[in-house]
Amino acid sequence: MPVPPLDQPSAPAPITERDPWEPFNRKIFWFNDKVDSYVLEPTAKGWNFVVPNEIQTCLTNFFYNLRFPIQTVNDLLQGKVQRAASDVGRFFVNTTFGVAGFFDPASSVGLDFQWEDFGQTLGWWGVGTGPYLVLPILGPSDIRDGGGLIFDTAASITPFFVNGYYLFAARSVDLINTRAIYADTIEKAKESSIDYYTFVRNAYLQRRAAMIRDQEAATAETQEDLYHP
Amino acid sequence: MKSFRFWATSGLFAMLCILALAPRTTFATGSPRDVVRELSDAVIAVLQEKNLSADAKREKIRGIVQGYVDFSTMSRLVLARNWASLSDSQKAEFVEEFKQHLSVVYGKNVESYNNEKVQITGDRDEGRGDWTVQTKIIRPQGGADILVDYRLRQIDGSWKVIDLIIERVSLVSNFRSQFQEVMANGGIEKLLQLLREKNAAGQPLKS
Repeated sequence: MPVPPLDQPSAPAPITERDPWEPFNRKIFWFNDKVDSYVLEPTAKGWNFVVPNEIQTCLTNFFYNLRFPIQTVNDLLQGKVQRAASDVGRFFVNTTFGVAGFFDPASSVGLDFQWEDFGQTLGWWGVGTGPYLVLPILGPSDIRDGGGLIFDTAASITPFFVNGYYLFAARSVDLINTRAIYADTIEKAKESSIDYYTFVRNAYLQRRAAMIRDQEAATAETQEDLYHP
Repeated sequence: MKSFRFWATSGLFAMLCILALAPRTTFATGSPRDVVRELSDAVIAVLQEKNLSADAKREKIRGIVQGYVDFSTMSRLVLARNWASLSDSQKAEFVEEFKQHLSVVYGKNVESYNNEKVQITGDRDEGRGDWTVQTKIIRPQGGADILVDYRLRQIDGSWKVIDLIIERVSLVSNFRSQFQEVMANGGIEKLLQLLREKNAAGQPLKS
């Protein structure tokens, strides 16, 4: 495997929406949408009604804090030593002063959170997305990020400490809580789209490409085709 | 080799002369940053008015946005290769329906305005006459900031918004891929019909 220079991510290819399994993906997407409208959305609505926003933020903080090993490993795999140090610092500050991670005092002292996962690491190494893939329940992904998810699950230390039922319960709370936080966004996305499947696919691929580059706009490499067609 | 260098230097010199002598009309209307500042200030001012109904606010914001966004360029970028295959009347209708669609979708946000502020965080030259202005929507009532980048292009001497990149997702790219999907299966007529239906159903404006 070629070793990338440590200061610069290798230039990713412009996003291509390769979706050779579209008919199959659309079926899974349809299934996920049903699960969402019959289970997740109503539960999330109830959750929003009962659980105040502050608590929802605390829960997000808590689950983010548990991502510490995954974050740090991926920082290091991408040669981001400073970010790795920052993530270690975050974990200690938030686990102690942040009361087991429910609060995020680290962000206010400049140790901000930046999502990292193995899919991103692979992308940073120059691995392409491969075909787009919709996973049951987990939603939009691609071959690279789906593979990354397996690695991240293995790198997560929580399963070694926590009993399976609690883990399942925790994952469910995380899922419902996240769904509740994004309830408005998801509703607006559905309303604003002409073809929701394509909307999600395009948004997912654009966002992932931007996250790999650690920059705020997803459009740098695709400019030519996008803005001067 | 010598002649190449001669042409290169004299060419460069000529270009510098042109640049130096060219009237600065290009910046007469303010920098891209100023334009985005103006636009967001104007919109927030309307949102903060206490004695206006939601519909009246939408109508006012629509008027403001019209002056800052170039919907026909945006439409052309969204349809990309398909644009050329449209007749003039289809082009005109598409621009209208697409504009209407965006105003219906974004108009709904008027009700959920909760004292958000816009902070400009940076800008950069994109080359070929485009400019990006990066902003952040700050939500004082809690919730993570929202990143919104504006892509501007100089059109007839003033900077116009041609794309929004919300949380790293470009609106032009996103609509392009949706519309390509629709057009691949039913052509422009299918797309126009879907937009018409959607606009008629979600119409927040009276008419």
